[in-house]
Amino acid sequence: MRKFLVFLWVAAAVLGVGKELVVYTYDSFVSWGLALAIKEKFEAMFPGVTLTWVAVGDSSEMLSRLIAELKLGTTRADVFLGLADVELPRALAYNVFQPYDPEKIPNLADVPPELIFDGTGHVLPYDHGYVTFVYDAELLSEDLVPKTLDDLLRPELGGKIIVMDPRTSSPGLSFLLWTIAHYGDGWLEYWRKLMPNLLTITKGWSEAYDMFLAGEAPIVLSYSTDTAYSYIEHGSLRYRVITPDGEAYRQVEGMGIVRGTKEIELAHAFLNLVLSVEVQELIPTTQWMFPVNARAKLPAGYEYAVIPERPVALDPELVGEKLEEWLSLWQRLFIGG
Amino acid sequence: MAEPVAKAFYRRLNLRRGASLAWASLPLSFLACAFFLPLANIFLLGVRADGQWTTAHLRAVLSDPYVRHLFSFTALQAFLSTLLSFVLGFPLGWFLTCYRFPGKGLIRAFTLAPFVLPPITVALGFFLFFGHTGYLNNALRSAFGLREPPLRLLYSLWAIVLAHAFYNAPVFARFIHAAWNAIDPALEEAPSVLGVPRLRAFFTVTLPLLLPAIFSAAALVFVLCFLSFAIPLSLGGARYATVEVGIYLYAQVYLDFSRAAALGMAQVFVTLGLAYFYVRAGGLWGGRQERLRPRSTQPFLSRPAHVLWIPWLLLSALLFIGPIGSVIADSFSRPLAGKPPGLGWYRAIFSREQSPFIGTSPLGSILVSLEVAGLSTLLALFLGLGGSGALRVLRSRVLEALLMAPIAVSSVVLGLALLLAFRRPPFAYLSDKFALVLAHGLMFYPFVVRIVRPIWEGLTPSWVEAARTLGAGRLRAFLTVEVPLLSQALLVAGAFCLALSLGEMTAAAMLSQGELVTLPLSIYRFLSARRFGAASAMATLLIVITVAAVAVWEWLGERTLRAYGQT
Repeated sequence: MRKFLVFLWVAAAVLGVGKELVVYTYDSFVSWGLALAIKEKFEAMFPGVTLTWVAVGDSSEMLSRLIAELKLGTTRADVFLGLADVELPRALAYNVFQPYDPEKIPNLADVPPELIFDGTGHVLPYDHGYVTFVYDAELLSEDLVPKTLDDLLRPELGGKIIVMDPRTSSPGLSFLLWTIAHYGDGWLEYWRKLMPNLLTITKGWSEAYDMFLAGEAPIVLSYSTDTAYSYIEHGSLRYRVITPDGEAYRQVEGMGIVRGTKEIELAHAFLNLVLSVEVQELIPTTQWMFPVNARAKLPAGYEYAVIPERPVALDPELVGEKLEEWLSLWQRLFIGG
Repeated sequence: MAEPVAKAFYRRLNLRRGASLAWASLPLSFLACAFFLPLANIFLLGVRADGQWTTAHLRAVLSDPYVRHLFSFTALQAFLSTLLSFVLGFPLGWFLTCYRFPGKGLIRAFTLAPFVLPPITVALGFFLFFGHTGYLNNALRSAFGLREPPLRLLYSLWAIVLAHAFYNAPVFARFIHAAWNAIDPALEEAPSVLGVPRLRAFFTVTLPLLLPAIFSAAALVFVLCFLSFAIPLSLGGARYATVEVGIYLYAQVYLDFSRAAALGMAQVFVTLGLAYFYVRAGGLWGGRQERLRPRSTQPFLSRPAHVLWIPWLLLSALLFIGPIGSVIADSFSRPLAGKPPGLGWYRAIFSREQSPFIGTSPLGSILVSLEVAGLSTLLALFLGLGGSGALRVLRSRVLEALLMAPIAVSSVVLGLALLLAFRRPPFAYLSDKFALVLAHGLMFYPFVVRIVRPIWEGLTPSWVEAARTLGAGRLRAFLTVEVPLLSQALLVAGAFCLALSLGEMTAAAMLSQGELVTLPLSIYRFLSARRFGAASAMATLLIVITVAAVAVWEWLGERTLRAYGQT
């Protein structure tokens, strides 16, 4: 056994001397500290290999930068981490990823099949979360707390809700898709009625949440782990998650090996590491998402993180096909067209 | 006998013109390789399909009624924003020119602080200060015993216009300040000697002399507001989307670069078209003057009439200091671990445990930002001076408008063009720091051209001719006569470039290969990890660093000038 470990270590050292693995991701993956933890573990596994994170924008900005670089044939990226499930059809259409080899990712065995959203074998999930509404218990009286999506239309909530723009924000897009899944063809009518209750539609999640914290509005679109976050980080239960109609929109985030990389072995080892129990157990308190590895344990305080009774998710294929039509209908609401 | 002499004279003149042209073409050809060619490549995507020329993408984009709505709204808000920026900026420029008071240099440097703030921080400042539960509304509510917030300013067109004026009034102020300082005081004194009323003298003498600078500033401000992306969305709401949002949607969400390029082309056509109009209008009033002595200033409040300034000063303080002050206050007051933090957030951003959150050490971030800003400012000054010189030789208003392209194209298109330029040899061999220096130089030289050009036009040629008569070469005459006369303008332009580089994000995001995390990027990193207090502390730091960098630059510059007897 010991000999085998020594052999592994030597093999890893030979494999990796002076090499670099470059991973593109979105900025909050770095800013919560998870990227650094993964880097330390990875570099300890492969002495001599450097893991470089490039994270200078959100997920869609990094993806379009990668696509542009692939077109020029000059990207340094070996792995892309942080692909939203709804972006999958476009990423596949631009042939961004090369298929992974499941044999080289033993930890894949612990991932429930319903979370593997890419049937073509290019992109693997690493976490999942639920977009829903959160309210401020000090500013909103108990009888006004919405229990259904229809409750959000109550006239008493005029100007009391902040949501994000589906064009520029991923939770914003999730909410749009949620209303489409829930109301079918009636979604546009729902939005028309919702408008008077929206204080504003922000560009991104940060502005919206910051306004919510400042008390500008008592209800904000956010994530179902928010109560767990404020409980674990600040010991507060002031901000509470609701799941209207028992629903919330599911987001699964994925990673894949960039087409044309020379570091195929290292890239597989990286994917396997991210799916390992030790890294997956860091996800709840860094990404504030749920791990995909079924063996990973949730930390204390996560009893306040909500998995809805009925997670909602549209088929990425359908989203890829109809997104432009939906967004342009949504935009025209504002010019009354 | 006389004929050959004349011929030789003309030949020499042509040769000289050729030499100037050669000098001027140096920066121009660099701009062409590093910026205009890649830009053209991107735009080609919008007019070609399957190897054929086509207008299909353009037609598809422009026939969409929503896109037409975007254009009309964008133009409207840009027009209103330019107007308000002028209304607020003109008195500020006047005030800075005519009075002296303690701390003037610092206040002048502070006027550039809004420029570096990322839109997300300005939005934060605005809703902390003007929001329904913001400082201003709370103060008004408690003062008048109201229950509802009396001021409903945010989430409307006016919030957008006000925020744009917050950013851009300093452009008018600084441009007017620089041009006013270049006016020969004798011209302004003449009417009062002749007994003309001061007000009339102002409208008949001073204002016409300032018009080229005013139009020059208006061209810049209009273009900047036209391209605004985050401010209308964050402070107005989704209803107030600009053309830039449309380009973002095509490029980033639909990943349809052809339509993004087509819309980007339509947008640049509008922005450069209007820039051309402003350049022409500014040129109409251009005049030459001989400036023999520096302008004198009065101590502020040395005369009772100066009291009239005070209401205006209070109002500007409300608009400029309110939002910035709110961000600074937030960095000291946002609870950290349930307690009032004091300096806690500052200790936090400099602690080792926090550095993983931005992926670099904050000190490293500050030093690299300053280094990039310093080097790119020098490059922008060189390019801008070269560009202005080329315009003196070539005298083409179309070229003059075209040279504004780096600030007139959509940031999405600019990002792609930079990627194209900097991922290919020769620039591909640069480290990301130097790539960013080059990119910032390319992006900010139009500010130098805009501020230097009207003042250079206003210089009388007799000085240079005098130097040449005395035997100085063209280059020597340029360096010893024109550069010193333009030095005030160059100082202001350099201050703008410093501030712009410290706050820039598009190029930083496109060219970073992981190591380079500038100050604004680290603000975004903190925000994305819900460390709002740390983000405010970082923004405060960015303001302090910018004001300090600009103040030091201008102080050093003015000291040097005084040593040469120029002020």
